[in-house]
Amino acid sequence: MAAYQLPQWAALAPALLLALTGLVLFLIDSISPRSTDRTLLAGTAAVGALASLAVAVWFTAAGVGTPTVDGGEGVIEIFDGQFVVDQLALYFMIVVTIVTALIVVASYDYLAGHTYQAEYYSLVVLAATGMATVAAANSLVTIFIALELTSLPSYALVAILKDNRGSVEAGLKYFLIGALSSAIFVYGISLVYGATGVLQLDSIAEVIADGGADGFGGLLGLGILMLLGGIAFKTASVPFHFWAPEAYEGAPAPISAFLSSASKAAGFVIAFRVFNVAFPLGEIGNVIGFDWTVAFVVLAIVTMTVGNFAAATQENVKRMLAYSSIGHAGYALIGLAGLSADGGELVMGAALMHLLVYGFMNTGAFLFVALAEHWGVGRTFEDYNGLSSQAPVACGAMAVFLFSLAGIPPFGGFFSKYFLFTGALQAATANTAMLAVAAALVVNSALSLYYYSRLVKALWIEDPPATRDRLGQPTGLYAAIVVAAVMTIVILPGFGPVAEAATGAAEALVN
Amino acid sequence: MTVAVEYYVLLSMAVFCIGLMGVLTRRNALLFLMSVELMLNAANINLIAFAFYHGNLTGQVFALFTMALAAAEVAVGLGIILVLYRNFRDVDVTVPTTMRW
Amino acid sequence: MVGTGAGPFSYAPAIALFPLAAFVISLVFGRQLPKKGAIPGIFATAASLLFSLWMFATVAGGETYHETLYEWSAGAVTTEVGAEEIAFSFGLLIDPLSALMLVIVSLVAFLVHVFSLGYMNDEGETGLPRYYASLGLFTFSMLAFVYADNLLMAFMFFELVGLCSYLLIGFWFRTKSAPSAAKKAFLVTRFGDYFFLIGVVAIASTFGTVAFAGEESFVVAAETAIEDGTTLFGFDAQTWVTITGLLVLGGVIGKSAQFPLHTWLPDAMEGPTTVSALIHAATMVAAGVYLVARMFGYYALSPTALSIIAFVGGFTALFAATMGVVKDDIKQVLAYSTISQYGYMMLGMGVGGYVAGVFHLMNHAFFKALLFLGSGAVIVLMHHEQDMWKMGGLKDKAPITYYTFLAGALALAGIVPFSGFWSKDEVLFDALIVGLEEPVILAAYAMGLLAVFFTGFYTFRMVFLTFHGEPRTETAEDPHGVGWSIKAPLVVLGLLAALVGFVNLAPIAKVAGMDITFLEYWLDGEYGYVEGLTYHHYHEMVAFEEGYIGSETTTMLLSAGLSLGLALAGAFAAHTLYNVPEPKRHTTKLGGAYTVLRNNYYQDEYQVWLAEGLTLPLARTADLFDRSVIDGAVDGVSGASLFGSSWVKRIQTGLVTNYAALIVAGFIALLLGLGLYGGWF
Repeated sequence: MAAYQLPQWAALAPALLLALTGLVLFLIDSISPRSTDRTLLAGTAAVGALASLAVAVWFTAAGVGTPTVDGGEGVIEIFDGQFVVDQLALYFMIVVTIVTALIVVASYDYLAGHTYQAEYYSLVVLAATGMATVAAANSLVTIFIALELTSLPSYALVAILKDNRGSVEAGLKYFLIGALSSAIFVYGISLVYGATGVLQLDSIAEVIADGGADGFGGLLGLGILMLLGGIAFKTASVPFHFWAPEAYEGAPAPISAFLSSASKAAGFVIAFRVFNVAFPLGEIGNVIGFDWTVAFVVLAIVTMTVGNFAAATQENVKRMLAYSSIGHAGYALIGLAGLSADGGELVMGAALMHLLVYGFMNTGAFLFVALAEHWGVGRTFEDYNGLSSQAPVACGAMAVFLFSLAGIPPFGGFFSKYFLFTGALQAATANTAMLAVAAALVVNSALSLYYYSRLVKALWIEDPPATRDRLGQPTGLYAAIVVAAVMTIVILPGFGPVAEAATGAAEALVN
Repeated sequence: MTVAVEYYVLLSMAVFCIGLMGVLTRRNALLFLMSVELMLNAANINLIAFAFYHGNLTGQVFALFTMALAAAEVAVGLGIILVLYRNFRDVDVTVPTTMRW
Repeated sequence: MVGTGAGPFSYAPAIALFPLAAFVISLVFGRQLPKKGAIPGIFATAASLLFSLWMFATVAGGETYHETLYEWSAGAVTTEVGAEEIAFSFGLLIDPLSALMLVIVSLVAFLVHVFSLGYMNDEGETGLPRYYASLGLFTFSMLAFVYADNLLMAFMFFELVGLCSYLLIGFWFRTKSAPSAAKKAFLVTRFGDYFFLIGVVAIASTFGTVAFAGEESFVVAAETAIEDGTTLFGFDAQTWVTITGLLVLGGVIGKSAQFPLHTWLPDAMEGPTTVSALIHAATMVAAGVYLVARMFGYYALSPTALSIIAFVGGFTALFAATMGVVKDDIKQVLAYSTISQYGYMMLGMGVGGYVAGVFHLMNHAFFKALLFLGSGAVIVLMHHEQDMWKMGGLKDKAPITYYTFLAGALALAGIVPFSGFWSKDEVLFDALIVGLEEPVILAAYAMGLLAVFFTGFYTFRMVFLTFHGEPRTETAEDPHGVGWSIKAPLVVLGLLAALVGFVNLAPIAKVAGMDITFLEYWLDGEYGYVEGLTYHHYHEMVAFEEGYIGSETTTMLLSAGLSLGLALAGAFAAHTLYNVPEPKRHTTKLGGAYTVLRNNYYQDEYQVWLAEGLTLPLARTADLFDRSVIDGAVDGVSGASLFGSSWVKRIQTGLVTNYAALIVAGFIALLLGLGLYGGWF
C-alpha cells in the first residue's frame, strides 16, 4: 500500500496532531502572553484540526481498519491493545475534527474582544484530542483518562466568560454533575475490574466467555450500570442529562455546539465500543441475567421524549436547541437498543450516520445562535423575528439546519432518521420492544417539527422589529455556517459512501 | 492473616455512600467537591483490593491514574468555584439558579 | 397485419404533435404573429389532416399499427385474474376506426381554424393568442385520445380535452355567464369522469392491463374470465364486467351530454361559435361515443350494459329533441339537437349496431359542424344577434350560407338522400330488429322514432325563422357581409353533409343486392384490421336476438319509410307554422307543456336542488365533523403535548443539588427495574 511502513504508533496520528496543536498554542501563549492575535491563534487551531481530519480521511481511504482479506490494512493495535485504530475510531475522529474545525473558524469572530484567547483555543483543541483518543481507546483505563481529558477542558470552556453569571453558573453545574458522574463511572470500572480482573475490553469479553465472572453477576451488573451512567452523562441522556440545558445555554455558543455535537459523539463511541466489545450480547445475559439492550430501550424512549417535550415550549432559542440535543441523543441510542446477538449492524450504522449528520446540522444551528449573540439581537424566539430580511443567507442556512434536525427530506437529517426508523422496525422482529422505540421516534419527530418550524416562522415570516441596527457579516462565522449548511445538503447525494463507512464501522464492531 | 476481599468492598461501598450523601446534602461547593473525592477514593479502595485479589497490578496502576485525574479535577473545580464566588459572592451551589425550566 | 413501426406509421405521432407545436407557438409568440396565432394553427391542422389521410390510405392498403411508444411505469401486482404485472404506457393504435376518426377530427379542426379567421380575427376579438393556443391544445389532446392504445392514456387525454373545453367556453371571461358556464361544464363532466376513473382503476386491478387491443387487452382478459366462470371481487365475471363498464360509461355520459348529465352542453354555447362547432358538436362530445366504440368488445360482453346504453340513448334523443322545439336562440336549438343526435349514436351502439353508431357519428360530425359554422355565419351577418325572432329573410342576402345551412338541416332532419338519413335510418333499423325480441330496446326504439318527428320540426322551424319570411329587424334588412374564410369551410362541409352518406347505402344495398356498404366493410376489416376489433367479431359477441317483420327487406323498408315519413311530417308542420311572411310564436297551443319545455324539464333546477338541498347539508355536516372531531383531536393532541411540555421542563429546577438527587433517584430506579427484570433479588 504505502511506499514505506509507518511505525505502529503513527496510527494515532489524528489524536497526536491535535495534541501537538494544543501544545503549539500553549507555546504561542507563553511567548506572547495575553496575545489577541486572533488570526494566528484561530489559524493554528484550524490548521491542526484540518490536518488531523485529513490524516483521518487518508487512513480511512488507505484501508486502515478494513479487514486484510478485503485488501485493507487491518485493525492496528497500539500499546498491547490499549488503543485500537479501526474504522469506528477513524469515523469518530472524522466527526470530531470536522466539528472542531467548524468551531474554531466560527470562534474567530465570536471571541473578538475577549481575553484568554490562547487558552480558549488550546482548551478546545485539547478537548478534541481527548475525544479523538476516546474513539481509539480500547481499555477502561484509557477510556477513563481520555474521557477526563475531554471533560476537564470542557468545564473550563463553559465557564470561560468569567464575568458572565450565566457562563459561570453553567460551568459550575456542568462541573458538579460531571464530577459526580465520573465518580460513578470510575466506581463502575472498579466493580467490573473486581468481577473480571482485567480492564482491556476484549480481555473482559474473554473472561466473561470463559466463565471467569460467573458468581459475580451482581457485581458485574452494577458495574455495567454505573458505566452506563458515566456514558449517559457524556451523551446527555436521561437521567444524567440535567447539566445539558444549563451548560448549553450558559456557555459561549460555539462551545455549546462543540459539546452538543463532538462531545456527545465521543460519549457514543464509548458506548458502542464498550458494550459491543467488552459485554457481547448473549454471553453477558447468562452472567447478569438480562441483555443490556433493555436498558437502552428504556433510555432511548425516555431520553427522546423528555428532550423533545421540554423543548416544545421553550422561549429561549439556545435552550430549545439544548433540549432538542437531548432528544437527538435519544435517537442515537436506538443504535444500541436495536442490537441483538446475531446482528444489528444496520441500526447501529444508522446511529453512526445520524451522529455525523448531526455533527453538521446541530453545530450549524448553534453557530447561528453564536451569530445572533455576535449581533446582539437577543436570545428569545421573538428577538429573532424577521432576521431573514437582514441576513437571508444565514437564515436560509438556519432553515436548512432546523428542517434537517426535524428530519424533513431532502436534507441529511431525514435520511439518517429514516434509516434509524427502518432499522428499529427490523430489530423489532427480534425484540418487540423496538416497536415502542420506533413509535416514540415518530411521535417525537412530529413534535420536534412543531418547535423547529416555530423558529423558522420567526426568522422568515414574522416582521422584524422597527428598531434593529444593521447586522454585520462576520467572515468566520458565516463561512462555518455556510459550510455546515452545504454539508447538510450535499451529504444526501454523498449518502452512499457515508452509509457504507458507517455500516462498515458498525460491522467491524458487532462481528 | 489476610482480610477477605468482601470487607474491602463493603468499606468502599460505605465510603462511596458517604460521599454520595455528602453530594446530596451539602450546599457548600467545596464540601460537594470533597464528597466527590470520597467517591473517587472509594473506587480506589476497590481497585487496589481487587488488584490484590486477582493478583495483577492493573488495578493499582489505574488507581494511580485516578488519583492524578482527581487532582486535575479538583484544580479545575477550584477555579470554577473561584469565579463562582467572584460573580455570586457565595460558594453555595444552590444560589446560582438564573437558568431553569 | 399489425405494422412494426416502419413506413408511414412511424410518422403517426406527428399527427398529434403538429397541433401541440402550434399551441406552443401561439402561446409564446402569438402576440407578435400577423394573425395572432391563426397561421400556425391552420398549418398544423392542415398537416395533421394530410398525415391522417395518409394513415387512412395506409390502413386502406391493409396495414394497421399498434405500438407502445413509452412505458412510464411498470410493476408487479396481484390481480383478480392472476396477471402478475402491470405496465402503464403511451402507445398508438391505428385501426380502421381510429384512422377514420383521425380524419374527421383533423378535417373539422382545420376547417374551424380557417373559419376562425373570419369569425374571430375579422371581428376584432382580443385575446386571440389564447384562443388559438387553446384550440391547438384541444386538437392535440383530441387526436391523441383518438389513437390512444390503452384506457389510461385515453382517460388522460379525455381529461385534457375537458380542460380545453373549459378554457374555451370561458373564453370571454369578462362576461358574467361565460365563466359560470365554463365552470358548470367542467364540474358536470368531471362528475362523470369521476366514475370513469374508478372504472379505469377497477379494470386495471381486475385484469392487470388497460390495453384496448391485442392478446393482452382487458377485453380478451374479460372474455376469458367469463368463459372460465371466474369470480371477480365476489361477483361472477359478467356482472363485474357490467359494473366496470357502467363506471366507464359515467365518463361517456358526462362527455357526450347524455341524460342526466346533459345540462352543461346548452350552457357551453357561451363559448365562441367556432368552439361550439369543433368541440361541442363534432369532436369532444363525440369522445364519449367514440370511447364506447373503442372498447365495444368489452360492452359487447354485457347485454345489461348495452341495454342501458341503448335506453339512455333513446330517451335522451327524444328528451332533448322536445326541448329544442321551443328555443329562440339559434345556438340553443343546435345544442339540444346535438344532445339528441348523440342519443341516437348511443342507441345505435347499445343495440349492437356498431357500424350504424360510427356512421352516424361521422355524419353528425360533418353536418353539425356545418350547422354551427352556418349559425356562426348568421351571427356574423346579424352583428352578433342570436335570437331567431329578430332574423328572417336572410335567404336572398346570403345565398351561400343559406344553401349550405339547408344541406346541413336536411341531413339533420334525416331527409333522403342527405347523409343524416342513411345513418339515422340504420340506427333505427338496428334498434327495431333487436327491439322486436327485447321489450326494453323496443321502448328505446319508439322514443328514437318519435324524436325523428321533433327533429324535423325544430330543424325547419330554425331554417324558416332564420332565412325565410320577411326581415323582422333592421339588422336583418342590412346584414354584415362574410368573407371567403367563412364561406369556404361552409361549402366543403355542405358537400360532405350532402354526400358522405353514400359511403354506406345499406338499404339500397339490401334492396338492389349491391356491395356498396363501404363503411361496413371498412369497419369489418375488409382492408386493414386489428384482430378482435372488427364489426364481424363484435357482431358475434353481442348476445341479442334479432327479429323481423316479414322478411329482412320488408322490415328495413318499413323502418326507413316510417322515419322518413315522420321527418317529413315534422318539416311540413314547421312549414305550415313558420314558413310565412310574419310567423307567430304559436306557443300558447302547447299550454302548460310550454313552460315545462322552456325550463328544460327543470333539469337545472333539480340539479341545483340536489347540490343545495342534499350535497350542501352533507358537506356542512362533514365540515362540522372535521372542525369539531378531527380538529378537536388534533388540537387536543397538541394541547396535551404543550401541557406535558410545561410539566416536563419543570423537573429542571435550576438547583444543582436537585439534579444530583434526581440523577441518583433515576439511577436507582433503573437499577431496581433492571434488577427485578434480571432476577437479582
